[in-house]
Amino acid sequence: MMRNDPIKHVFIWPAVLVVLAISIFPLIYSLTTSFLSYRLIPPIPPRVVWLGNYATLLQEPRFWSALFTTTLIAFIAVGLQYAIGFGVALALNARVPGERLFRVALLLPMLLAPVAVALVARMMFNPTMGPLNQFLSKFGLVNLPFLTNGHWALACIIAVEVWQWTPFVILMMLAGLQTLPEDVYEAAELENASAWQQFWGITFPMMLPISAAVVFIRLIESYKIMDTVFVMTGGGPGVDTETLTLFAYQEGFKKFNLGYTSALSFLFLIAITIIGVTYLALLRPHLEKRR
Amino acid sequence: MSDRGLTGLSQWSRRLVAVGVLAWCLITVFPLYWVVVTAFKTPPGVVGGPTYLPFVDFTPTLQPFIDLYQGIRGEFFRTFLNSTVVGLSAAAIATAIGAMAAYALVRFEFKVRLGAGLVFFLLALGGYLLFNATFGLTRSQALLLAFPIALIAAVVANRLPLPGPILGNEDILFWFVSQRMFPPIVTAFALYLLYSEIGRLGFQLIDSYVGLTLCYVAFSLPIVVWLMRDFFEAIPIEVEEAAMVDNVPSWRIFIGIVVPMSMNGLLATFMITLAFVWNEFLFALFLTNSRWQTLPILVAGQNSQRGDEWWAISAAALVAIVPMMIMAGLLSRMMRSGLLLGAIK
Repeated sequence: MMRNDPIKHVFIWPAVLVVLAISIFPLIYSLTTSFLSYRLIPPIPPRVVWLGNYATLLQEPRFWSALFTTTLIAFIAVGLQYAIGFGVALALNARVPGERLFRVALLLPMLLAPVAVALVARMMFNPTMGPLNQFLSKFGLVNLPFLTNGHWALACIIAVEVWQWTPFVILMMLAGLQTLPEDVYEAAELENASAWQQFWGITFPMMLPISAAVVFIRLIESYKIMDTVFVMTGGGPGVDTETLTLFAYQEGFKKFNLGYTSALSFLFLIAITIIGVTYLALLRPHLEKRR
Repeated sequence: MSDRGLTGLSQWSRRLVAVGVLAWCLITVFPLYWVVVTAFKTPPGVVGGPTYLPFVDFTPTLQPFIDLYQGIRGEFFRTFLNSTVVGLSAAAIATAIGAMAAYALVRFEFKVRLGAGLVFFLLALGGYLLFNATFGLTRSQALLLAFPIALIAAVVANRLPLPGPILGNEDILFWFVSQRMFPPIVTAFALYLLYSEIGRLGFQLIDSYVGLTLCYVAFSLPIVVWLMRDFFEAIPIEVEEAAMVDNVPSWRIFIGIVVPMSMNGLLATFMITLAFVWNEFLFALFLTNSRWQTLPILVAGQNSQRGDEWWAISAAALVAIVPMMIMAGLLSRMMRSGLLLGAIK
């Protein structure tokens, strides 16, 4: 089955070489930078501070608040995406009328540039000229501070995330639902199980592995959030909606504090690894039981 | 597929579910409708408050698009070309070399010693520090020397009977895919540092076609390898075995048999990669500044440049969105729903 032919090296090396050179090697370089005190403005010759950058960062309240904001956005947004996405997928799978029409429309958002989506969101959320304001003013809620109040701005960002990425969950869950065996449901029918019982007894447990994968992918991706926030609020008001990536961008590209930013990005990497590993460890017993 | 899932529900609950889906659909579509409509409005038509129907509420105009083309709000035309050129070439290269790697991982056996990986890491790190600190080379020279030395040493080390676990194909695949888990800011910033070091040697990589394309190829490869592996695994091996009996060389099997058989998969992968590159913001933000700026950067800049000129901003957003809308239509036709499912297993 598996062949062994020297030509295999020709096949695999281009890809390996590109990844090594463009993504692994810079990481190693930036790891060394993270141990330096290295600034471009004002230019100071690099000085080795070992873990100094990391220690400063861990005492920096802005780092913790960015980590908290990112976590908040990621968890709430992914939770909502999963709930809505699973629901819509169930409905589409059960062939609600007009299901074909829905499919293309539902796929659209996730292929659009987050930057453009965020601009559109700014229009929708405009407190005076936006359609949402007009709609809400019918209920007596006029000129809400959508993007100028910290809590509202967070909610708006989460709403945009949900809008854009629920289609991904729908797509995956729909594909999963279509692989479920028919006979289990027929057996349940004979037992007169209600739709509710069928869902919790059969569908949900059988969809658990796919759910776990989908949530994992979305969670990791959500932690990277940057473009949406960058355009919608720029991290403001104040630093209320600043995410980790945005914080790193401000430090690295506005202040050119290279050593500090490298350390920050590695802390980010460590944080996301911890979250990923914890998530998988928590889920493993559930997943293996069902196999 | 059957009616299961809703079978136990009454007629009324079925309607309720349909209404729920319809509501979500409206939420999805309305903002898109809003951009399209706003892009055809005149300035007074926007400032006067929300209007919804063209010809009824307001008179549509093409002025925002004419302004865009004439470059009143930044060089849209050139940026659009940049995005297209970089997107198409990065997607094509990534699909080509990613598909080759995926095929190799499906059909050939690889063994990599963990020790060799460690050798690469240590030599890349230590070699750089050694050359820079001890031999007094500049940072960029030290970097450029350390990379090939570490690579060659790792390849040699792989042949030696080093202790430690041996990694197989699955582990290599995991290594590829795990690149995707990294927060891009880590690599974007590192790459920016590396590119500017190399720039000091005279190779301009920041704000250049080569630099940007190379970076997008590297960061699309995980998805490509991931998706293509499933397509190749689905191809029955008998066809290839028959060709091997006839002594057809492997590269001709790949180009003559495997590639034509997985054309759909290659096309879908190419389009997904293209969408990824087209929409990408962070790398472009770090690695370009004027000449090779891409569309997302220019679109994001619209916001602060001239305030709330929604008609122009809508037109700009629309230019960035429409190619992907067309792609969504194409993709949804092509995509068997099994495509992505296979990918996440």
